[in-house]
Amino acid sequence: MARTRVWPAQARPWGAYWRDHGRVLRDTLGYLSGRFATTLWVWLTIGVALAVPAALHLLEANLVRAAGQWRENPGFSVYFEPGVAMEKPEDLVERLKAMDGIERVWLTTPDEALAEFRELSGVSDALELLDDNPLPASVRASVTTAVSPAGLAALAEQAAVTDGVEDVVVERSWLERLGALREIVTRLHWSLTAILGLGAVLISGATVRLAIVARLEEVKVLTLVGAGRGYVRRPFLYLGAAYGLGGAVIAAMAISALLLFLEEPLVRLFGSYGRDLEIAGFDPIFHLVLLASGGTLGVLGAVAASSQRLNRLNAAQGRP
Amino acid sequence: MGIEFQHVVKRFENGTEALSDVSVTIPPGSLTFLTGHSGAGKSTFLNLVLRADRPTRGKVLVNGVDIAGLKRRHLPVYRRHLGAVFQDGQLLDARTIFNNVALPLHVAGMRARDVGRRVRAALESVDLLRKAELLPGQLSAGERQRVVIARAVVNRPKILLADEPTGNLDPELSRSTMALFRRFHDVGVTVIVASHDTELVGTMGSRVVGLDHGRVVSQEATNPDG
Repeated sequence: MARTRVWPAQARPWGAYWRDHGRVLRDTLGYLSGRFATTLWVWLTIGVALAVPAALHLLEANLVRAAGQWRENPGFSVYFEPGVAMEKPEDLVERLKAMDGIERVWLTTPDEALAEFRELSGVSDALELLDDNPLPASVRASVTTAVSPAGLAALAEQAAVTDGVEDVVVERSWLERLGALREIVTRLHWSLTAILGLGAVLISGATVRLAIVARLEEVKVLTLVGAGRGYVRRPFLYLGAAYGLGGAVIAAMAISALLLFLEEPLVRLFGSYGRDLEIAGFDPIFHLVLLASGGTLGVLGAVAASSQRLNRLNAAQGRP
Repeated sequence: MGIEFQHVVKRFENGTEALSDVSVTIPPGSLTFLTGHSGAGKSTFLNLVLRADRPTRGKVLVNGVDIAGLKRRHLPVYRRHLGAVFQDGQLLDARTIFNNVALPLHVAGMRARDVGRRVRAALESVDLLRKAELLPGQLSAGERQRVVIARAVVNRPKILLADEPTGNLDPELSRSTMALFRRFHDVGVTVIVASHDTELVGTMGSRVVGLDHGRVVSQEATNPDG
């Protein structure tokens, strides 16, 4: 069999790989600090490209969380005719508790309804003038998360056929709107992630390409003195990673500022519904994912730019 | 480390035939000069040995292996055993002389301590140790050429290639540069020097391969005394 090596393979000294990485890291930091204005510009551009889909992701996460916080609400309320005997609402409570998909059932007697109305409306003096309690008994049922809107409607219909029932109100419309809004946000999120992610890759790639052109002489010399493809490419991959990571840091800062800016009015809004607000987005996992995404997109751009440029150089040097 | 050209033809895409049926054997450890006018094929010859280019036809054997068939992953290892000196120098202007010379050692993954020792020895051999921390732009043409030679030999190559290494130098510097190549040849390195300066080559006492329009027109040994 023909020999494919001119000289026997020589193992590189132990630790050479990590020494290379350490040297490239130092060189990369030096390169970036030596061109700080350009570097900052690239970071800001990639930062904007990452911040938009990241903000949409947070919006989606907070919509899911908001829907979750009202999870007991989806359901229906059954209003009986005024003066109906209490056995009928009580029977309905027992029937509903036995049905699949029902999470909780509350019975509100006419007296409890009046007391609640008195407390919430602030017109207790006017109510004193009434001879009889005009409010009916009602039963409210919440459904489990597994119940679809159609299932919810079917359960409400079963309750509606109970004798003495005057009206059934299905509380689903706001949930359906929230679901539709979430769907729009989700689709917008993924579309913009794809478009702006590609943008981040292209920005990183174009900047790294300029760096390769500026250091083409060095690349040629390194190739001639026996540098392998990995060795030649490594500084440019580090550069791409640095651009991506820097952009992610800018995006994280922008999003944190946005959350701080929105937190106070959102807390007030949720407070008006008697809810505590815990905004998604301040957690370390989100920031780690953002950094990893930025770094990965930056490296992808650098891989694309360096592959294209170095392949052309290799072809010019007659390499296979 | 023998080099053998077997009926090598090199034709470029524009149709120019730089080498035409060249068959040359360069014995291991020899000092060989390629002479000829500009366009004779000297640089192409060296580029084929460096595997910066591949022959259109024929074979270039180094140590018995056809280097045109080297796999991509084996090519860097091959080149780490070569030293190359070109007329344009190819020094990196933003790096100090020390760091320029250290490049092949960094590529080989050598420890910083060993790099320092080897680079200082290489710079001392070309009498430039005192200028190690200067930038290439601060040196004269002759000094720059000696830095390139130091970089070419710092990794203790088995083959040293030089393309018109004295092209920009005055006669005295040219002679001292050629003397450097002889010193490396004396320690067993196979040295191939391309030069159009036949007068200078004639004083070196070595094998001379004459090229003209891509063909070998002479192969002879010269007398060092003239």
